[in-house]
Amino acid sequence: MKLPESLFSRMFLAYLPFMVYPYGFFKAGVAALWIVLFLWITVAFFWFFRRFFPDRSLKCAFFLWLIVWAQAAWTLTKLPPYWIASVFFLAPVSFLEETAKPGHVRVFSREVPRYFFERVLAGTGFAGFVMLLALVREIGEKRLGMHLFEQPAGMFLVIAAVAFLWKNQPYRRRG
Amino acid sequence: MYFLIISFGFLLAMRGARPAPLQKPVEGLKRIGREATDLFLTMSLILALGAFATAFGKSPLIAREYAILGPGLAAYLLSRYQKKTDVFFLAVMAGVFMISSERHGLVQGIFGAGVVSAGIALFQSCFLGLRYKLLFSHMPVSMRGWPNLCLLAGFISLVLWSLGSLVF
Repeated sequence: MKLPESLFSRMFLAYLPFMVYPYGFFKAGVAALWIVLFLWITVAFFWFFRRFFPDRSLKCAFFLWLIVWAQAAWTLTKLPPYWIASVFFLAPVSFLEETAKPGHVRVFSREVPRYFFERVLAGTGFAGFVMLLALVREIGEKRLGMHLFEQPAGMFLVIAAVAFLWKNQPYRRRG
Repeated sequence: MYFLIISFGFLLAMRGARPAPLQKPVEGLKRIGREATDLFLTMSLILALGAFATAFGKSPLIAREYAILGPGLAAYLLSRYQKKTDVFFLAVMAGVFMISSERHGLVQGIFGAGVVSAGIALFQSCFLGLRYKLLFSHMPVSMRGWPNLCLLAGFISLVLWSLGSLVF
C-alpha cells in the first residue's frame, strides 16, 4: 500500500508553525503529543456536538475553541500559541464549510471508524514526523555542530529529502 | 523571529487567500505587496489596541494574563472583516504574540511588525520568482511538488540568513 500524499501535506504544513519552537528533542516530543491529543479531542468534540452549532457559526466556534485553548495552555504551561496552527492544518477543515451537511451522518454509522482512523493516522504521523525532525535537528546542531540547523534552511533540506522519498515510495500490491 | 518569517511566509505562499499567480509574476508581486501591507497594518492595529489597553489602571495585569485571548479575538475579527483566509489570521496571531513577548513599547512593536511583514514579503517574492523560473525548466517528475518547493524554501532561507548576518 502506498501512503497518500495528502497525509504528508498535512504533516508537513502542520510542522511549519511547530518549527518556530526552539525546543530540544524531549520538549518537542511533549509539545507534539499535546498537539495530537488536542487534535483528537477537537475532532471528537466537533464530530459529536457540531449539530448544536448553526452552520454559519461553526467555523467561528472552531477558531474560538482554538483561541480559548491556546490561552488555557499558555496560562497553565506557558506554551506559546503557535501549536494551534498545527492543529488547524491537521484538522479536517472541510467539515467547517457551510456546504457540508453533518446531519446526514449518524453517530453510530460505518463512516465513524474510517473518519476517526484517518484522524488517528494524521496525528500519529505528525508526532512521528516531529520527533524525527527534532532528532535530526538535535544531532545536526548539537552533536555535529552544523550551523545549517540553527536556521530553517537545514530543516527544509531534510524535509525535501523526506518528501522526495515519500513521493517516490514503491507501490506494493497486497497479496 | 526568523523562523516565524520563513514558516509563515511559506504557509501564506501556499495557502494564502489569493495566492500570487505563477503565470503573471508582476501581478503576483503586486499582490504580495498588498498582502504584506495588510499584515503589517493588522498587526500594528492589534499592538496599538494592546498598548491602549495596558495604559489604564489595572488592565496591564489583565492584558499580560490574557496575552492570547484578547489579541487572538482581535486578530480573528480583523481577518474576518478583511475576508482573509484562516492562515492570515494564524499568521497575525503568531506574529503579534511573538512581537509582544519580545519587544517592549508600541514603537518597537510596530517596528517588529514591519520587520515580520517585510521579511514575509521578501521571502514570498523570492519564492515566486524561483517558481516562475522553474516553470520553464525540465524538472524530473520525481522532484515536482513538495521536494522542489522545500528545496526552494531552504535555499531562499539560507540566502536571506546569510544576507541578514552580513547586514546586521
